[in-house]
Amino acid sequence: MKITKEQMIKLYTDMVRVRKLDETLINGLFAGKVQGFYHSQQGQEAPGVAACALLSKDDYLFYTHRGHGVGKTLPKGVPARAIIAEHYGKATGSCGGMAGFHTCEIELGIPGLGGTVGGEFTLASGMGIAAKMRGKGQVVASFLGDGATGRGTFHTAMLMAANWKLPVVWICENNLYGQFVPISIAYPKENIADLAFGYGIPGVIVDGQDVVAVYETVSTAVDRARAGDGPSLIECKTYRFRPHLEGFPDFIGAGLRNEEEVETWKKRDPIELFRKGLLEQGILTGADIERIDHEAAEEMEEAEKFASESPIPDPEILKTALYAD
Amino acid sequence: MREIMFKDAINEAMTEEMTRDETVYLIGEGVSRDPWGTSEGFFEKFGEERIRDSAISETAIVGSCVGAALAGYRPVANIMFSDFLAIAADETLNKAAKWRFANGGKVTIPMVIRAPIGGYSKTGPEHSQCTEAFVWHAPGLKIAIPSTPYDAKGLLKTAIRDNNPVIYFEHKALMGTTGEVPEEEYTIPFGVADIKREGKDVTIVATAFMVQMSLGVADRLQKEKGISVEVIDPRTLEPLDIDTIVASVKKTKRVVIVDEDVLRCGVTGEIAAQIMENAFDFLDASIQRVAAANMPIAGGFLEQYILPQPKDIAAAIERVLS
Repeated sequence: MKITKEQMIKLYTDMVRVRKLDETLINGLFAGKVQGFYHSQQGQEAPGVAACALLSKDDYLFYTHRGHGVGKTLPKGVPARAIIAEHYGKATGSCGGMAGFHTCEIELGIPGLGGTVGGEFTLASGMGIAAKMRGKGQVVASFLGDGATGRGTFHTAMLMAANWKLPVVWICENNLYGQFVPISIAYPKENIADLAFGYGIPGVIVDGQDVVAVYETVSTAVDRARAGDGPSLIECKTYRFRPHLEGFPDFIGAGLRNEEEVETWKKRDPIELFRKGLLEQGILTGADIERIDHEAAEEMEEAEKFASESPIPDPEILKTALYAD
Repeated sequence: MREIMFKDAINEAMTEEMTRDETVYLIGEGVSRDPWGTSEGFFEKFGEERIRDSAISETAIVGSCVGAALAGYRPVANIMFSDFLAIAADETLNKAAKWRFANGGKVTIPMVIRAPIGGYSKTGPEHSQCTEAFVWHAPGLKIAIPSTPYDAKGLLKTAIRDNNPVIYFEHKALMGTTGEVPEEEYTIPFGVADIKREGKDVTIVATAFMVQMSLGVADRLQKEKGISVEVIDPRTLEPLDIDTIVASVKKTKRVVIVDEDVLRCGVTGEIAAQIMENAFDFLDASIQRVAAANMPIAGGFLEQYILPQPKDIAAAIERVLS
């Protein structure tokens, strides 16, 4: 499906908003307002934004700890205030302050998150079973990093989805590192997309810094899933600009990440690249760019203020949160 | 009243619930032909979309149930042997048990894992276990464990209708046992223990196959020594009907807790602690426990030295009375 100008502007706007939210959470952490931790996703805005432009609220999505999902949850419709308030531990947070960094908005197709890397793959296949049985063309987007492919659940979930032609789109953001472990020692090949071959499903590689390329690639996979033809694996080649975990040095293995490598990748900032293209094509003007930037900043400022002023949770919630009626 | 087998009671519960609610489906390895005969007629009635024979992937079987439940369906998994729950430990203890709580109590996870338990079939350490303690320790799960066909049917229907993850333990040695089961539809609520045998000298608390073994010992001791044993079957461990247990203890003042699983850190310890907390002043003797030896369950001829035997229950009753 050829992408329209309006869709491109939305992609750009959402990437800007995601970046601003990421910055806001980092500031909140260093201001002592974020109660737990934060794993920045700067540099990886494109895959989530592109995928969410192809999904409706009836489609399901599992995100990862990278950016605590902001690159997916925000473009899928979760209010920034709910995300920040959750990080601030407030009662108005997406999980009522219970999780500290999860986003759970099931009406938007976001069921939440667990705490083990790769713990959601099999759940994604299960949502695929439900979607298939319901027969309304729902799709499940299951995001993963390169590190998560080490889990056995990656295999069992993929196997189930391939066997039963479940409507799951696996989107791997290969940023070359799993926590502090480089992919070169965690995986014996260069391309994670190769794993798809073992299951007889499409495995496609795409430049993760090119939001339109990701959009077009995911579009094919989503259409395939909606048509009942089964799952796909998409590998986005991407990179995280900041350390794995905020407040820590940029550890890799027993040393530090190579600064030259970081600087080289920063030249391929997905937002800058797209902005350049949109300006060149005359789809956006300089004034538009400024306006989008300004609106995003205002949005996050308002959301942060809301979170700051929200109350902390009443422990009464602990009594009803364990079991449903 | 008609008498039917335990396995057929399970079959009826599944058939009724799957007929009643199209979001209920069954998933597991070879569930279209369950080794213990609980699946007769399923595939013909409900087809391959709702009777899903999976690859040998316990993590995907259990994990997919969590996902399907989140997406509005009511899956029932059959894990074939409860020993295999360990393969899906993250999916059971961290995902199924904790997801709702960790995500602010905003979602429900209506799923059932049917887990065949039990030994006395000489099938060795990883095909004979009773793993109730393993899951009871994770808050967020409910646990049902029938000892009769009547309880099997009523508890399974309730488990499927419950909006929480339920582990339903079905004992393999009970599959061919028979009991009265009404034709009319009924359910059994969770958290209601059943007094399987009334007595006044000693209280036995037991589950699953140990209920039947205890009843046999009770009958023998009544005949041979005039000892009157009351047998309490909790039927669900979570929620646990401690009130019925305590009422019995207040009456008899002597308790023997019988569990087929390993003694250490098991079901007997938890129930004993709760009895002590609630009825300490009523006890005339220390609580006796009968459980499996602290070792894996050997196969073949050595199994009998590890799993509880009727003489162990009789000896515990004599001890608590002495």
